[in-house]
Amino acid sequence: MENKKQENLEGMFGELETVIDQMEQDGVSLEESFELYSKGMTLLKKCSRAIDEVEKKVLILDEDGETHEF
Amino acid sequence: MKNVYTVKQVNSYIRNMFAQDFMLNRIYVKGEVSNCKYHTSGHIYFSLKDESGTIACVMFAGARSGLSFRMREGQQVIVLGSVSVYERDGKYQLYAREIVLDGAGQLYEKFEALKKELSEMGMFAPEYKMPIPRYAGTVGIVTAPTGAAVRDIIHIAKRRNPYVQLILCPALVQGEGAAKSIIKGIRALEKERVDVMIVGRGGGSMEDLWAFNEESVARAIFDCTVPVISAVGHETDTTIADFVADLRAPTPSAAAELAVYEYREAFETMQGYAQMMRRSVTAKITGERARLEKTALRLKFAHPRQKLDEKKQYAADLEDDLRRIMKEKLMREKHRFDMCVEKMRGLSPLEKLNRGYSYVRGKDGKNIREVSQAGKGDRLAIYVSDGRIEAEVVSSAAFPYGNMGWKEKNCGE
Repeated sequence: MENKKQENLEGMFGELETVIDQMEQDGVSLEESFELYSKGMTLLKKCSRAIDEVEKKVLILDEDGETHEF
Repeated sequence: MKNVYTVKQVNSYIRNMFAQDFMLNRIYVKGEVSNCKYHTSGHIYFSLKDESGTIACVMFAGARSGLSFRMREGQQVIVLGSVSVYERDGKYQLYAREIVLDGAGQLYEKFEALKKELSEMGMFAPEYKMPIPRYAGTVGIVTAPTGAAVRDIIHIAKRRNPYVQLILCPALVQGEGAAKSIIKGIRALEKERVDVMIVGRGGGSMEDLWAFNEESVARAIFDCTVPVISAVGHETDTTIADFVADLRAPTPSAAAELAVYEYREAFETMQGYAQMMRRSVTAKITGERARLEKTALRLKFAHPRQKLDEKKQYAADLEDDLRRIMKEKLMREKHRFDMCVEKMRGLSPLEKLNRGYSYVRGKDGKNIREVSQAGKGDRLAIYVSDGRIEAEVVSSAAFPYGNMGWKEKNCGE
């Protein structure tokens, strides 16, 4: 709840679902569906970035609040 | 010798007395374990003794969940159970439901009291539980830096998602200062703004786990603005921390599974979304294209040229009909004409001449049809098929044609 990043990934997945729902509706025009598609793709890219696919080392938090590798 | 009773009657009378006794039905008895036997049936037979005497005890296999350690001779324990009579032997014994090590016994009471108190204060209430984020990017861990718990957590977290940042805040998890150390860890990780934290340790005795039953630790977890997953000991170990945490994990490994989302799954979800969107757009385009084609076709049909073409075709068809009718008509007329020609030919004088007849004309140009028209010496013109013959009448005689002799009609020169 506190952290933006985590909210974003969850929120973005939610938004994606909304985008897909909208795209699947019958009344959507072609222009709208392109717009939605590009919005969805941007969201996906953001999701991917939020996942931050870099393998993380375990950090250890010391007495002074400094972090080191475990 | 009035009132003689059977053994059975006496034993069952005594048994009833025991059964009706409120205190004997639920009693804590403390003493030293002796003659402890784990029977193959799962029942445990032992005695409790102190300096004054002993009491026989049994814990049936069905009650074994009330015992979380291996009982040994000489241990000081507190047994919760009921005292009842075993009629076959005429003996009373303690039927154990829960057995805790003494010392731990006191702790147990303390635990129950604190649990009750905090529960009444509403600290375990579900409305205070924060949801555990589904996609935590940073996961804090408050536990001992050595030992199985931290190893399990790291192992499982890495396996599920190596891209999640783990921050370990090493803490003393048992003994003097453990509670303080745990609280400090919780606060430090809260400051680090982790998305979720795991607070726990591996299994141990009740004393070992005691720090997680401290009120100060419970309060620190309750006050923590970051969702806390408790992971203390094994599944059967329950601590105050478990009640107050936002989520209780049965073991540290389970906590890691709850805190760290599976990368594979998230990735597949994303791929699924991408595919759904692609499919949706493709379907849209296909649909629109089909609509366009349909419309184009309709437009084509509606075009004036189409109407014109139709009319032209109609006109051409009519022309064809006209020609055909005309031709048929002509054919018919020609045929009729041919018939006439044929007929005419039959009537032609020339044709008659061709067949050997002749035409005789007198000097006045009249056709000689009777003998009387030709006198002796008259010049006659005889027309035959290829020309004219001039002839002079030598004689003439009339005779009636009967059945014969018509040949003699033109016998003149």
